[in-house]
Amino acid sequence: MSKHTINLTVNGKRRTLDVQSNELLIDVLRDRLYLTGTKYGCGIAECGACTVLHGDRSVMSCLVPAVAADGWEITTSEGLAKDGELTPVQESFVNLGAIQCGFCTPGMVVTSTALLRENPDPDEAYVKDYLRGNFCRCTGYVAIVQAVLDAAGKMKGAAAT
Amino acid sequence: MTQVSEGSYIGQNVPRSDGHAKVTGAMVYPSDVIVPGMMYGALLRSPYPHAEILSVDTTEAEKMGAVCLTYKDIEPIKYNERSVSIPAATYRDRTVLPDKARHFGEPLMAVAADTQELAYRAVRAIKVEYKVLPAVFEPEEAMKDGAPQLYDKIYLGDEEVAVHNNIGVIRNISEGDCEAGFAKADRIFQESFELGRIYHNQMETKCAVVKPEPDGSITVWATAQSIHANRQLLGRVLGMPLSRINVIKLPFGGAFGSSIQVNTVTPICAYLALKAGRPVKLVSAREEDFYSHQKYPAKFTVKMGVTNDGLITAAHVTALVDFGAHQVQPLPFLGCTAGWFASLYKYEGNIRFDGTAVYTNKTPCCAMQGYGNPQINFAIESMIDIISNEMGFSPVDLRLKNYRGVGDEFWGQGPTIRSIIKSCGVEQSLVEGRQMTDFDHRERPDTKTGDVRRGLGLARGFHCSGTGGPKEGEVIDYSSALVKINEDGSVDLLTPVTDHGGGTWDALRKICAEVLQVPLDLVGLSPAGTMQIGYDVCTHATRGVYCGGAAVYHVAMKVKEKLLEVAGRLMAEHAYNLEVVRSDGLHQGVVQVKDFPAKSMTIGDIAKQAQNMSWGTIAYTDSYRQRNCPPCFTTHFVEVEVDMRTGVITVPKVLIFGDCGNPMNPDLVKGQLVGSFNRGFGYTVFEQLPTNEATGELANKGLLVDYKTPSAMEMPPIKDVEVILCDTYEPTGPFGAKGIGEAALASVQAAISNAVYNAIGIRFHKLPLTPEAVLAAIREREAQSAGATPS
Repeated sequence: MSKHTINLTVNGKRRTLDVQSNELLIDVLRDRLYLTGTKYGCGIAECGACTVLHGDRSVMSCLVPAVAADGWEITTSEGLAKDGELTPVQESFVNLGAIQCGFCTPGMVVTSTALLRENPDPDEAYVKDYLRGNFCRCTGYVAIVQAVLDAAGKMKGAAAT
Repeated sequence: MTQVSEGSYIGQNVPRSDGHAKVTGAMVYPSDVIVPGMMYGALLRSPYPHAEILSVDTTEAEKMGAVCLTYKDIEPIKYNERSVSIPAATYRDRTVLPDKARHFGEPLMAVAADTQELAYRAVRAIKVEYKVLPAVFEPEEAMKDGAPQLYDKIYLGDEEVAVHNNIGVIRNISEGDCEAGFAKADRIFQESFELGRIYHNQMETKCAVVKPEPDGSITVWATAQSIHANRQLLGRVLGMPLSRINVIKLPFGGAFGSSIQVNTVTPICAYLALKAGRPVKLVSAREEDFYSHQKYPAKFTVKMGVTNDGLITAAHVTALVDFGAHQVQPLPFLGCTAGWFASLYKYEGNIRFDGTAVYTNKTPCCAMQGYGNPQINFAIESMIDIISNEMGFSPVDLRLKNYRGVGDEFWGQGPTIRSIIKSCGVEQSLVEGRQMTDFDHRERPDTKTGDVRRGLGLARGFHCSGTGGPKEGEVIDYSSALVKINEDGSVDLLTPVTDHGGGTWDALRKICAEVLQVPLDLVGLSPAGTMQIGYDVCTHATRGVYCGGAAVYHVAMKVKEKLLEVAGRLMAEHAYNLEVVRSDGLHQGVVQVKDFPAKSMTIGDIAKQAQNMSWGTIAYTDSYRQRNCPPCFTTHFVEVEVDMRTGVITVPKVLIFGDCGNPMNPDLVKGQLVGSFNRGFGYTVFEQLPTNEATGELANKGLLVDYKTPSAMEMPPIKDVEVILCDTYEPTGPFGAKGIGEAALASVQAAISNAVYNAIGIRFHKLPLTPEAVLAAIREREAQSAGATPS
């Protein structure tokens, strides 16, 4: 197994790491950078619990070899809130009961963030379709979809003022 | 228990206190625990459904630096992973690692190594010689003479029990006089129903981290519904005093019953850590977790007698259950199933239940949201629909005439745990739902045409809130709490109760805040481990708020008594002349003289003064047992659309009634009802676990990609998901509360199936209603009617 040196920017911090060619991004984030908000749920990109942002795009870190992430700017669930202030998406998740066990929540929040960067004015059908790759066993999704729409409304309002 | 005060947090929607940590990824779950010097574990799982292990060679794995564990390293103590029932009602058949594989994917050996990758490589380096044995997968086959036998003997309590024809448990229960009841009936109905295995699919796979401590004790973080059950089993299999085992309470990624027992990985992880002398983390891959535990399947035959005026006069249920390769308690499962059946309707007191549970070479079954309730509810609530259709009754009226309500007996946990119903939202649910859906005017299926047909269906259910009864039964039920007033008026609350995401911890904080009248944010939920706090049996049986909350209520009341006594000394008043009220202005609880509030002290000042006088800390700890297990009721009105061309069922609209007594946090209660509807929809139309009988392997090979559950896409539009909480108050609950968790699922399946009948006129007796199954039924009906048409 060969070793490679990669450069990542994770939550605004530049990291240089030696990784094995078969090492996965999820394991680098969790086991080496201790960013355990990125969760393991299935290992085959079926559940979305390991979703992180690559720039503005959401990717499932369980399928990304760390070497392939060389040069990426990554934001994990830990990097969304600034100075302890929750983002509108995070705030709406908390206030609208979109959280139960919370294990899917970091990935769900990250995907929802990517959604709103891509489309700041989604309707219900768009949100449901966008979130179909993120699995939640607890909530039945209704409160989650409501939270994303609520966050979109708040962000639009903030942009208008 | 007393009414809530004005302005109480109870009944208010308060954003959950762990929300911030959960949306920022900061919350630590068991699989997130990282300990310096930690090794990683991996398991060698059986490649056969039934095989003897003839020899094991771990030399190569050890050369790689791995610590290896086989059945030769462990004490062969026989246990049952679940310890909710008393020992005399608990069958024991397993050890930490076996010398014989009894299902595909069963953990046989374990390793720990410096990296996860090395651990997996080391597993592959272990050489095992097997003698492959014939396997059996269906209960009917397993009971035949000459079928492969999984066990010769097992244990019930301390007694050795011989196993014949793989029959693990037989449980027959009867009351009243069924024959006389059937004789009184004008019509007799008999139908069979079948529900297959499904998988919990909780988001966090089963895992444990075990750390040997310098003083010889161990610290354990694990996916666990009961920290004390984990501690007690570890003490037994490791031969360690319980005082040296601290199982730490953490949130974990969903349960649904999947961790009601001590998970198989946990004692293995503990043995590895002790052998290695280092911390070990053992996390199941999703493909492994599928083979850990599954939901009990069931086959029922239901016979009911009904009079022409709609009185159900007797009912007889036979149940056949395949519980897999180990008992995680099919004994109480059968008892509970009998109880759910017996408690749905009155049947004039004439009931009979004949239950048989059988070993097969499949994954062991354990609790999964309802413990037999969704299974038997599908059968009984389908029967009620069949009887209504056949005899021309309104399904609402037939239920109203026969349901068990206030004043009737309820079997909360099988025949040994009975209490009297004191609060009931059934009538409100049925009457309001009938009006809101215009149920009485729904069209008959034979009037419907077109490619997409819409139907409306109804079913009702319930679950117990805990397993307490006036008399102790075969199930253990009590909880503990510790409450301590700090010197600034804030409060520490310690509870052994786990929260699976429903918001139990916030409910317990609210109960404590309400009793002591302190602002909610001043009640802190302290970290708790088995070394710090008394016993709680388990967060199961929908008992977190009703039983765990009652323990908090009881202990907080004792603390309030002490508080008033201390305040009386400081204020020169009799304690009985004092009361506590919350002051939002001062952001404190305040003790004041009744009818003379000008004379008052804040709780913080009282606690500080008590400290200055060296009177001690105002604190108390105790255990508490509820003596009831009140049913929480649900009713589902579901609209479906069935596509006659594809067999696809969709749900455009659902109306859910939930009766949880006084809700602690209405939003979170509704969230549980909506989430359960989603899971129930999956159970009804998607989820199944077929086995490849040639290999014993699951057809999906444990891969989530081939185990479909409903996503956000399959839910009805937000505006068409309506939840109504019944206006009830449970007199025995903390501030009127009952549970909701498992009730929320009970009637979903039958409601959907009944709606499908109303849409297309086809009755389904077997889940799931996959597009293939629906299409096949439509084709069969077409063929029959074509055959019946005269040429």
